[in-house]
Amino acid sequence: MKTSLRTSLLAAAALSAAAHTAVQAAPQSFDFKDPKGVNNVQFKLDAPLESITGTATGLSGSISFDAGKPEATTGRIVLDTASLTVGNPLMGEHLRSAKWLDAARHPAITFEAVSFANVRKKDAQILADVTGKLTVKGITKETTVPVSFTHLPDKLGARLGDPKLKGDLLVLRASFEINRSDFDLQPGQMTDKVAETIHLSLSVAGAAPRP
Amino acid sequence: MKNKLSLLLKAFAAIALLSALSVWIATGSHRGWTQTSTVEMKTDEITGINYPVRHDGFVAGVEIPALGLLAASTLGGLGFLLGRRPSARS
Repeated sequence: MKTSLRTSLLAAAALSAAAHTAVQAAPQSFDFKDPKGVNNVQFKLDAPLESITGTATGLSGSISFDAGKPEATTGRIVLDTASLTVGNPLMGEHLRSAKWLDAARHPAITFEAVSFANVRKKDAQILADVTGKLTVKGITKETTVPVSFTHLPDKLGARLGDPKLKGDLLVLRASFEINRSDFDLQPGQMTDKVAETIHLSLSVAGAAPRP
Repeated sequence: MKNKLSLLLKAFAAIALLSALSVWIATGSHRGWTQTSTVEMKTDEITGINYPVRHDGFVAGVEIPALGLLAASTLGGLGFLLGRRPSARS
């Protein structure tokens, strides 16, 4: 009788562990609409006569991520063009105007992941070169971006200050450059004041709540 | 009277130039346009994400010393013209 009970308990434990592993191994959908408003993109244009720096926080999107199979990651990140801000309000208006980003006609800047290469682990991070479709001002270009993924299991509650909330976090970081002429942003114009190269730095956290 | 006014204008010119330069240097010698907000970077505790927080703030741009120079040139020029002695006619 005792042996039978022990066997049953062991079997139940094994089943539970297997189920837990299966859940963990399945891809999770992370929502990048950050309730804390911390997700951000920083941009910098360093021209001979002027250095322009700014930030944007209107980020959203979703990513399907499997910690055991990061190369299968899919999804897109969306940036609200109107959320781009610089220190000078007038310059900000120019930046969002029809002459530059045309935020009224093109309200979103998007990056959609297509393929992963050079996937490797570094401590708690997974690094990969993500190739995707970057759309700015309605123009889509294939762009490869080095991205680091940090999976933080069971940290959602701690982040949002609600211990009852269960779920994981996924932090993405990427620094890369694009050329403004590739996206019809006044190509060849005012290069002494507005640099051709735009340095971008993205830091975003997505949440995957669990019931 | 003319000499006094000339000296006063030259003094104002110097004050305008020095004030504009001082403000520009004191707020960081920013080589762009004037900014009315500044960014402070903070770190999100759990994710380690560095994020910007904007505050109202004044950072003088290059137009401030440029305007100072323009004002100084105008005032100094007027002062110089007023201070000139009439040339003796032969």
